[in-house]
Amino acid sequence: VYQVFESVAKKYDVMNDSMTLGIHRVWKDILVHKMNPSPGTLLLDVAGGTGDIAFRFINYVRSVRERQLQRKLRHHQNLSWQEIAESYQEDKSKSLGDSQVVVCDINKEMLKVGKQKAQYLGYSEGLSWVLGNAEELPFDDDKFDVYTIAFGIRNVTRIDLALQEAYRVLKPGGRFLCLEFSQVSNSLLSRLYDLYSFQVIPVLGEVIAGDWKSYQYLVESIRRFPPQEEFKAMIEDAGFFKVDYQNLNSGIVAIHSGFKL
Amino acid sequence: VRCQLSPPHRALQGSAVLRRVSDEQKEPLASSQQQFDSHPTTHQPEQEPQGPRPSYTGQGGQESEDYESEEQLQHRILTAALEFVPEHGWTAEAIAEGAKTLGLSAAAAGMFHSDGSELILHFVSQCNTKLSELLEQEQKLVQLGEAEKKPTDQFLRDAVQARLRMLIPYIEKWPQALSILLLPHNIPSSLNLLTSMIDDIWHYAGDQSTDFNWYTRRAVLTGIYNTTELVMMQDSSPDFEDTWRFLENRVADAMNMGNTANQVQSTGEAVVQGLMGAAVTVSNAEPSRAVR
Repeated sequence: VYQVFESVAKKYDVMNDSMTLGIHRVWKDILVHKMNPSPGTLLLDVAGGTGDIAFRFINYVRSVRERQLQRKLRHHQNLSWQEIAESYQEDKSKSLGDSQVVVCDINKEMLKVGKQKAQYLGYSEGLSWVLGNAEELPFDDDKFDVYTIAFGIRNVTRIDLALQEAYRVLKPGGRFLCLEFSQVSNSLLSRLYDLYSFQVIPVLGEVIAGDWKSYQYLVESIRRFPPQEEFKAMIEDAGFFKVDYQNLNSGIVAIHSGFKL
Repeated sequence: VRCQLSPPHRALQGSAVLRRVSDEQKEPLASSQQQFDSHPTTHQPEQEPQGPRPSYTGQGGQESEDYESEEQLQHRILTAALEFVPEHGWTAEAIAEGAKTLGLSAAAAGMFHSDGSELILHFVSQCNTKLSELLEQEQKLVQLGEAEKKPTDQFLRDAVQARLRMLIPYIEKWPQALSILLLPHNIPSSLNLLTSMIDDIWHYAGDQSTDFNWYTRRAVLTGIYNTTELVMMQDSSPDFEDTWRFLENRVADAMNMGNTANQVQSTGEAVVQGLMGAAVTVSNAEPSRAVR
């Protein structure tokens, strides 16, 4: 698994766009919307290498924070100039409202690409990059508000261990969110999808990234991943409650959600 | 559908937050436990997933522990969230603040719909329960001879007033709540709560009818309640005097209508007018923020 991602790291984003025809952006947007994070949330994004989820999280929290500040200002009709100026200053310094995201990945190359992207796009505060294994996270218990893993869990050898670790590092009340390829329910779509996966994707892999094998592996790992209900049961076994899933594009991708209660 | 007996380690670990149910609740769970023990390995797809969590009896004869169900925890969160409504409105933010007071992460608000529907429905249901208890107590006093039985119009006025007074702490954000309750996906629940509350009031008012009048009385009182609620939204008089006067007049009108055929028609019209007025007033009263 490590080697696959080493070679894939640099072209990861480009490949994602071409394979999914850009829809992966929408999927990730939906994930963050579903999360609906409030300012002050501490997010752990596992296998989040190139930072897609992290950046979206920061954008979302920033806009929520702005709306909050605007609402506060509207109530400040009767304050003196001095007081208003003071409140501007203290709010400016907390544009994220203490929210933070820790991006954890097993692969150094992916993290490197992520850091470069962050610098390029201008994300600086509220971001941390940590090298770590999903099956054995280098964090204390009860730390995070939300744990996300987008398109990463199918690459984990012992999924049950990763789920247990997720449970461990989440605060009580914390949420587990997983965005992953899943089983398509519609049979016609399923045939088209299979055709696309096995014929087109490895070819794209060869042409764009110069790597047929990795993308062949990718497609096969998608097929091997347990279907929605089974994965839901695995999440429940790890101790999560109110576990549910939402199919996107009739099952090509599913978002599973669970709470540590 | 988590019906299989979980492996012993789960019973020991328990859950991080769901706390133990007090002993009084052990009784009703006993029967479901019987059913459970006799099917150690088969799944029971029929079992209510929302019911109270059955006790876990591990293989080694461990202590059976009852934990509150997720639903009960959700109720606790919503109740805690109510105190933040005047500040944040009926939103996911209020729910997040409520969760934080219980020691949970704000992410727990993700369990609920992001438009705050469940919070409002929870509140309405709580108010209805309080009203029932109040009416029950009053009835007891009458039965014990410690209080006079009120005439019907007085009774209705007092009941509606008592119920509407429960809105006073949240009155500023109530128009927002009303508009959310009118959303298509909420209408079944909100209508349900409304009709059962009206039924309750008539029940305690001593309504014995089983004939056609049953419907007209419900419709009439529903109309009175809804229109009075709307008047209250726009009332700025001290202690809402104008609203109570309006209520008095409406109840008096209703009493005078009598059992004539006209009553049916005018009731229908009044109800329709009331609903139309509701829709218009609500959409005007709230500077509409996009309802997410």
